[in-house]
Amino acid sequence: MTAIRELRVLPPLAVGRLGAAAEPMDNYTVEVDPDHPLAPRQLRPAPTFRVDPGSGAITRADTPEELRFTDGQGKVRPVAPFLEVWALTDDDVLQPLTLELLRLNSLTPDDVRWRVRVGNHKVQRRTYDDNDRIDADTGWFSDHDAHELAGRCANFLEDRFLPLGHARYVKPTPEFPGIRLRFTPAGGHVYGSAYTDHPTDPDPNVVDFLYDATKGTWRGHADQAGDPRLTIPAQIYAGDDGPDDTWVSRGYLDDECDGLVHVKVEVSGRELTAFGRIGAGPPAYAPDSIPIRTVADELDQALLGPGVAADDTLEQARDVAEEVLRRATETVRLMNTEVMNGNTVDGRVDAASTMVRQDTADTGRLFEPIMAPSLVDAAAVLALHQNVLAALRSGTAPWFADVLRDHDEVGDLTAKGRRKMPALMRGADGRSLALTRRQVDLVRLAARQAIFRQDTDEPEVPR
Amino acid sequence: MAALAVAGPLDAAEKVPVLPPEFNWRDYTVMLLHVAAEIEHSLMVQYLFAAYSMGGPQVPEARRDDVRRWQEIILGIAKEEMGHLVTVQNLLTALGAPINLDREDYPWGSDFYPFPFTLRPFSAKSLAAYVVAESPETWSGPKADEVKRVAFESTGQYVNRVGALYSRVDAILKDKDFLPDALFHADTLPYQASWDEWGRGYTRGQRGQDSGNVPTVKSPELLVFGVFSRDSARKALHEIGEQGEAPDADLEDETSHFNRFLGIYEELTAWPLGDQGLVSRNVAENPVTEHRLNESEVAALGAAEVTTNPITDPVTALWGHLFNLRYRMLLTDISHAFRLASPVDNGGVLTGRGALVHRAFAEMYNLRALAGRLVDLPLQQDVPGGLRAGPPFEMPYSLELPHRDHDRWLLQRDLVQASRLLVGQLLSTDPSCAGDPYLIALRESDQRALDQIEHVLSREGCTR
Repeated sequence: MTAIRELRVLPPLAVGRLGAAAEPMDNYTVEVDPDHPLAPRQLRPAPTFRVDPGSGAITRADTPEELRFTDGQGKVRPVAPFLEVWALTDDDVLQPLTLELLRLNSLTPDDVRWRVRVGNHKVQRRTYDDNDRIDADTGWFSDHDAHELAGRCANFLEDRFLPLGHARYVKPTPEFPGIRLRFTPAGGHVYGSAYTDHPTDPDPNVVDFLYDATKGTWRGHADQAGDPRLTIPAQIYAGDDGPDDTWVSRGYLDDECDGLVHVKVEVSGRELTAFGRIGAGPPAYAPDSIPIRTVADELDQALLGPGVAADDTLEQARDVAEEVLRRATETVRLMNTEVMNGNTVDGRVDAASTMVRQDTADTGRLFEPIMAPSLVDAAAVLALHQNVLAALRSGTAPWFADVLRDHDEVGDLTAKGRRKMPALMRGADGRSLALTRRQVDLVRLAARQAIFRQDTDEPEVPR
Repeated sequence: MAALAVAGPLDAAEKVPVLPPEFNWRDYTVMLLHVAAEIEHSLMVQYLFAAYSMGGPQVPEARRDDVRRWQEIILGIAKEEMGHLVTVQNLLTALGAPINLDREDYPWGSDFYPFPFTLRPFSAKSLAAYVVAESPETWSGPKADEVKRVAFESTGQYVNRVGALYSRVDAILKDKDFLPDALFHADTLPYQASWDEWGRGYTRGQRGQDSGNVPTVKSPELLVFGVFSRDSARKALHEIGEQGEAPDADLEDETSHFNRFLGIYEELTAWPLGDQGLVSRNVAENPVTEHRLNESEVAALGAAEVTTNPITDPVTALWGHLFNLRYRMLLTDISHAFRLASPVDNGGVLTGRGALVHRAFAEMYNLRALAGRLVDLPLQQDVPGGLRAGPPFEMPYSLELPHRDHDRWLLQRDLVQASRLLVGQLLSTDPSCAGDPYLIALRESDQRALDQIEHVLSREGCTR
């Protein structure tokens, strides 16, 4: 019973990371060291596929002895994810699509066809001009060459495109028979825009001029105050001060993208299709740390709902509480807490873009630090988080549940509201960051339940 | 303490305080505030002990929400007592007096002490004593009589009201003839504790604004007042008194400790007796560690006998010592923080004060973690079904800090090193503790604390 009934692309969402090195990043796992539970997580090399640049086949899967995030010449190694095709066969088994399974269905690897479409619509999102959309489409292919993802845009200079990386159908072999595609993101470059009639002096910040500023408005664009379509905060693009408090775009473009990977196979006269999602983000410069609220937390909430689900156990809730605290500790480790709190640092009052500046700008509230200025010595804040993490490992209920910020408190500008956890950080809506509702609810579940546990073996005798 | 007794009766009729011999008014006020600090400290510890004892697998499923809610209320009251304790230190600082974080272990007293200090698990009887201690002067009627009777049986004496002491202090404070304006030192404010530093996420003057660990229990209202004048001193005392017993409010005022305790008492005593006995773990009263064994185990105060329970299980005893040590570290951190001024220039220069405040909060987490362990560990070895130990809360031999700041950091280092020895002993001598995740994490956090202290001692100043 091996007839293929349906296809899947797994993982359904893969996020790559930009990098200009020729060799993609090695595989690794991120683990907590049991002997040093307060230390940063440990990165451990894991089995890594090596793809032959000529043939496009996997030649070996070895575990590197050490991890290197650059090529040694200052170029970052991109994270280039593999997307595998899985088949649901008529015996209701979901299994990897392999050479053997193809053969049993009278197919060859050439019968598998791929198409990758990605886009970068950041400029169009600001100018609302559809001619500013940057899109790339490989068209259908079934060979094993690297297919460039060439981002085309109506407002680009003639014959120019934005390189968004490439996609490659990995050639299956008897040793590595799986059907998979590899997405390699772009180099992580920033490009500029120019007037065609009087080229600007080369800007050391950009690798190339792409955008024709006589056709489109991106160079010189300024978000218009009061436009309800603006992001919050607005003006988050490279620019300079313009007249009337405007923020004028320099016309930069980056080479991030996201989009879809399509696959299709005709089985017994029936065309089966599937797709997965890909994206490219910036390199991880603190790969041993995890932000306290991630896309994974959003997906968890989307899947299971905003509250504790019926089958969530106390142990899971405790694990979430500890993970939240660990990530908070990791975040503090990376923060200049004095600056982020709005302290006066070396005589400077408004030293950086912080929640304090955000509160000042949005509400006209006087610039005021969030925590007591004496409390934000970075080492002391880190030590406190580590101590709370240590206490949690005793099985104690997470005491901090009552200082977590709720989702509907992100705009609370009282001293107390601004000091709730997570503190000093901005959410996607320009207000104070909150954990997902599900994260908060799980921490509170752990806080409610822990006191009824019994750790010793001996049963306690009721009085 | 005999001086207190000759200073006049503690009732509403006392309009003009009487100065006892050997005092002038300022010194007498300082002495009364020292007593107040000890009472707030003692109440806080006893409430914490009661709260930590609550829970356990024997609590019937249907009762657990109530028990967890009550625990949260009592923990909230204990946190508010912490605010009272800190505010009293501010009062002392403003008057130019030394702060007082001391507290006698067993028994001690004067007319002002509500009842003999006793660490006892949560029950209707122990609760009755707390209700009476926090009650307003005007509380009377059949319910009051009943609760006072239970409190009497429970403590062996008539339970004094905490509010009486503050009434007397206020009677002195309000009179310029007793304390002239010049005695209130506004310039001590940078050394005093502030709500900004000690309040964390807890509400300032707005209890009931949002939910805490238990959705139906509002987060505590932590009162920390800076004192810089006669008015601010009286205001601080008034607010503390109001939070305790709500003297000016009617009994429906839910915010006072009195009303919160009474509410729990009424709910608990409405349960069947069998269920009432299941509300807390089988924790010993007044657990003490081994170094107390050569002292008398029974001490008498008036009609009350206070019995201590030595922790004789060797592993539990190590945990008990670790608890006492971390308790000492907490008190040392608070005391040390009072010696360092807070920055007055928006944080441009950081002192060690912020680090000490954080360390104090970290120790509160450690105490809670250790207490959670101790209420689950046997008091005695090889006694199946025997008493659990509970946190001993024993006072250190001294709370005096060295004169020079460098030497205070040496003391800090001593304490962390002592903790490392105990943690190492627990990890190496007892198989059940060998891989204990908390001990391993505590060992690591102590190492990091030592690194920080060495940084300070090397005269590189506050860590940055």
